[in-house]
Amino acid sequence: MSDFAQHLINGVAAGTIYALVALGYTMVYGVLKLINFAHGDVMMVGTFFGYAVAQKLGYEHQSSLWGVLLIFLAAMAGCAILGFVIERFAYRPLRDKPRLTALITAIGISFTLSYGFQLDFGPLPGAAPRAFPEIITPREWLIIGDRAVVIWNWQVISLGIAISLMLMLQGLVYRTRFGRAMRAVSFDHRTAALMGIPVDRIIALTFMLGSALAAGAGILYAIKDTAIQPLMGLYVGLKAFVAAVIGGIGNVPGAVVGGLLLGLVEEFVVGYSSSSWRDAVAFGFLIIVLLVRPGGLFGRVAAEKV
Amino acid sequence: MPAWLRGLVPVLIAVAVLVVFQLVLGDSPFFVYLASIVGVNVILAVSLNIVNGMTGQFSIGHAGFMAVGAYTAGKLSLLIKDVAIAGLPTVVSDQVQLVGTLLAGGLAAAFCGFIVGLPSLRLRGDYLAIVTLGFGEIIRVVVQNLEVFGRALGLSGIHQTSSLFAVWFCVFLVVLVARRIVGSTHGRSLWAIREDEVAAEAMGVNTTGYKVRAFVISSFFAGVAGGLFAHFVPIINPGSFTFVKSIEIVVMVVAGGLGSTTGAIVAAIFLTLLPEALRTLFLQLGGLGAGASLAQKVDQIRMPVYGMLLVLLMLVRPQGLFGTREIWDILPRWWPGARKGIT
Amino acid sequence: MSDEILLDAVGVGIEFGGLRALHGFDLKIRQGDLKGLIGPNGAGKTTAFNLLTGVYVPTHGDIRVCGERVNGRQPHQINHLGLARTFQNIRLFRALTALDNVRVACLSDETPVFSRQRIDELRRRSSGKSPVAGAMDALNNYVDWWRALLLTPGFQEEEREITHRAEELLRVMGLSHRRNEEARNLPYGEQRRLEIARALGTRPRVLLLDEPAAGMNTREKADLMVLIRQLRDQFSLGILVIEHDMKLVMGICEDITVLDHGVTIACGAPERVRQDPKVIEAYLGDSYLAAHGMPVPPRSPTTETPAT
Repeated sequence: MSDFAQHLINGVAAGTIYALVALGYTMVYGVLKLINFAHGDVMMVGTFFGYAVAQKLGYEHQSSLWGVLLIFLAAMAGCAILGFVIERFAYRPLRDKPRLTALITAIGISFTLSYGFQLDFGPLPGAAPRAFPEIITPREWLIIGDRAVVIWNWQVISLGIAISLMLMLQGLVYRTRFGRAMRAVSFDHRTAALMGIPVDRIIALTFMLGSALAAGAGILYAIKDTAIQPLMGLYVGLKAFVAAVIGGIGNVPGAVVGGLLLGLVEEFVVGYSSSSWRDAVAFGFLIIVLLVRPGGLFGRVAAEKV
Repeated sequence: MPAWLRGLVPVLIAVAVLVVFQLVLGDSPFFVYLASIVGVNVILAVSLNIVNGMTGQFSIGHAGFMAVGAYTAGKLSLLIKDVAIAGLPTVVSDQVQLVGTLLAGGLAAAFCGFIVGLPSLRLRGDYLAIVTLGFGEIIRVVVQNLEVFGRALGLSGIHQTSSLFAVWFCVFLVVLVARRIVGSTHGRSLWAIREDEVAAEAMGVNTTGYKVRAFVISSFFAGVAGGLFAHFVPIINPGSFTFVKSIEIVVMVVAGGLGSTTGAIVAAIFLTLLPEALRTLFLQLGGLGAGASLAQKVDQIRMPVYGMLLVLLMLVRPQGLFGTREIWDILPRWWPGARKGIT
Repeated sequence: MSDEILLDAVGVGIEFGGLRALHGFDLKIRQGDLKGLIGPNGAGKTTAFNLLTGVYVPTHGDIRVCGERVNGRQPHQINHLGLARTFQNIRLFRALTALDNVRVACLSDETPVFSRQRIDELRRRSSGKSPVAGAMDALNNYVDWWRALLLTPGFQEEEREITHRAEELLRVMGLSHRRNEEARNLPYGEQRRLEIARALGTRPRVLLLDEPAAGMNTREKADLMVLIRQLRDQFSLGILVIEHDMKLVMGICEDITVLDHGVTIACGAPERVRQDPKVIEAYLGDSYLAAHGMPVPPRSPTTETPAT
C-alpha cells in the first residue's frame, strides 16, 4: 500500500513535467499543424541555460529565492528566444509547403541541437553528464509511517510551479485576446489572417511561449533528476509528445491529462516490473490508446473536406 | 526475346557480374566489409523509399525491422551452427543456411511490418511517424531485456558467411523489386496514394491494403538487410539499431529524393562512404594520437551535420538530389531498361 | 433504358454532432438518367455525394448501388460496384501523366487465379459478405504482385489491356495529345475533362459529377453539355450532376432535386422546379417573393427543427 502511494506521488511528479512539455507540443501543433520534434531539445537547452546561470550565481546564491527565480526566468527567456529563431528561420519559410517537409526539418533541428550540444568545443557542453546544482535544498516534508512514503519539499515545490504555469497558460489561452487569436489561427490560419489577426506574430509568440514552458519543465526535471546531459531532451521530448498525442494533439487540457496519465503508467509499470522497460512503456501505451481512440482521448478525428 | 525470358535476363546478368566482382575483389577483408556496409545501407534506403517515397507515408522506425531481421537470422544461425547439410560441401551448406536465415529474418520483419502497419496506416501521417518510431524503440527495449537475445551485450559468434556476392545480390534484388513495382499497375496505385489518397480511394484503389502491402515489402527487405548485417559483423547488439539509425536512413531517402530509387542508392552510398572516408583520412594524416581523436570527432560531428543537412535540404532543395526521377528516365531509348514516365 | 435501379438512396441522412447536414434524402438513378442536384451553397450537395460514395457513413437511411446495400463500405469497394465520381476541387494525381491518371483507375479484367465473374457471382449470392470471395480476391492480388515482379506474359498482357483502355478514354475526351503531359501542367478545362476520363476508367454504371463546369467559359460549358449527354449514351451510364450554372442544369437534366439546409425542398422536371416558390425563396430570399407578389410558402417543420 505504501509502495503504491509512493509510486503515485512519483508518477504525478514525473507526469507534471511531461504535461508541461506536452503543452508546448500541443500548442505548436494547434497553430502550425506541425509536430515540433525539436521541442524536447529546446527543453534540454533550457536546462543548460539554467545550469550556466546557476554556476554564475555561485553556491550561496543559487538556492536563495531570487536566485531560483532568476534561474527559471533566464532559462525561460533564453528558450523563448531560441524558439523564436527556430520558427522564424526554419519553419516559417515552409509554412505553405507539404507538412512532411516541415516534419523533416523538425527532425533535423532536433538532431542538430541534441548532438550538437554533445560536441566538445567552445561553449558547447560536451557529452558527459553534469550534476545540476541543488537549487532547492532537499528536505523531507512529509513522512508517512516508518519512512514508507516520503514526500520531499522539492516535489511539492515542483508541483506547485508546474501547476501555476499551467494555470497561467490556461488563463492566457482562454481569457485573453492573444489566446483567442491563437485558437483562431489553430482553426484556420488563412481565415484568421483575413480577420486581421497578425498570424506570423501569433505563431511566433506561441512558439516562444511553448519553448519557455519547456525550459521551465527542464529546470524542474533537473531538480528531480540532477544529472543532465545533451541527449536528455530526445527521450523526454518523445514521451511528452506521446503524452500530447494520447490526450489528443492540439487539445490543451488533453495534454495535461495525457502527461499525468503517462507519468503514472510509466511509474507503475516500472515500479512493478523493472526499470529497463521504461522506454517501451510510453510507446506501448500510445499504440494501445491510438488503436482504441485514433484521435487520442480528447481529440476529434477531423474529417477531411472532400 | 520470348516474353518469359525478359523477366529473367537482368537476374542472369547480375549474377554473372557479381560473380566476377566476388572473384576479383573478394580477397580484401577491408574492402568486403566496407562494400557490405554500403550494400546494407543501400538495401535499407531503397526499401524505405518504397514506403516514404513511392507511397508518401512517413515511417521512421526502419531500424526496428532491421533489428528483427538481424536477431532472427542471427539467432537461427547460431542454433544451426554445427549442423551441416549432408551431401554438400561445407561452403555450399553454409550458403544455403545463410539464405535460409535471411529468408527467416525477412519474413519475421515482414510479419512485424504487417502487425505494425495494419492498424497504424489508418492513422494520419504524423501519427504514423510516431508509431513507427515507437515500434523501433519497443523492439530495441525488448531485445535489450531478453536473455535469449543476449540483452545489452547482444549476440556474438555468428558464422560470418556473408560475402560481397551475397550482399550485393540482395541489393540487386531490392532494386529490381522497386523498379518492377514502379513499372506496374501497383506502382501507379502507390504513387496515386502519394499524390492524393482520397482521390485514389474514390478511383477504386484499396488504399489501406496497398499501404500495408508496401509497408510489408519494405520491412521484408529491412529484415534481409539486418540478417546480412548479422553475418558480417562480429557482434550485433541493440546499439546498432537505435532510432539514430532510422533517422540516418530517412536522411538518405530524403536527400536522394523521396520516390527516387536511384536517389536512394546514390545518397546511401555517398552518406555511408563519406564518414568512413573522413575517418580513414584523419587516421592516415594524424597517426594514432591526434588522428584517432579527429576520427572520433567525425562520428560525433556526423549527427549534427546530418541534422543541419536535413534543414538545409528542406529550405533549399526539398525534392532532394533526384526528385522523383530515375536514372533510367534519362538513358537512351535503346538501353533495355529505359522507359518513359513511371512505366 | 433499363428499369434496374443503379443507385438507390432512401431516407439518407447524416448528423455531425448536433448538426444535421443531410436529412431524408431520396434519389433513384437508372441507366440513361441524367439528373441534377442543385441548391444554395452549404445546402448539402457535396455531403450527399460524399455519403453516396462512402466517404461519410450515413447515420440514417439506406444506400444501394446496383442492388447492393453499401452503408459503411469503403469508397473503393463502392467504386467497384459501379459508382464513380469527380470532385468539386479538382483532385487529379498532379505529378502523374494524363495517361497514368487514367491508368490508375483502370482495373484489368484479366485476373491471375480466379476469374472476376466467379468472384462477383459469389459476392452477389451471399449479399456482399463472402469471406471466400474476399480470400479469392486477396489471392488474386497477391499473385498479381508476383506477376508484376517476374514480368510474366500474363502481366504484360494486363499492362497492354490497361494502357489500351486508358488511351481510348483519353481519345474520347479529346486528350490524346496530352497523354504524356503531367496532369498539373494541363490547362484548367482539360484537367476537368481528365478527371472525367479517369472516373470513366473505373467502368462505372453511375457517374457523379461534382460541379464539372466550374470555372469554364460559355463555349466550354456548351461543349461540356454535349459531352455529358454523349457519355451517357456511349457508356450506358446514369449520371447525377451537381451544378450551380442554371442554364447547364436546365439544359441537360431531365429531373432535378433541390436541396436547402440539408433537406429536399423540391424535386421534378426542370420547368416545374424553376417555378417552385420554395426554390425561388431558397435562392433569392422571401423578400424577392414579396416584391414580385408571390405567396411565401409555409415553413415546413423539417427545415427548422434542429436535430436532437
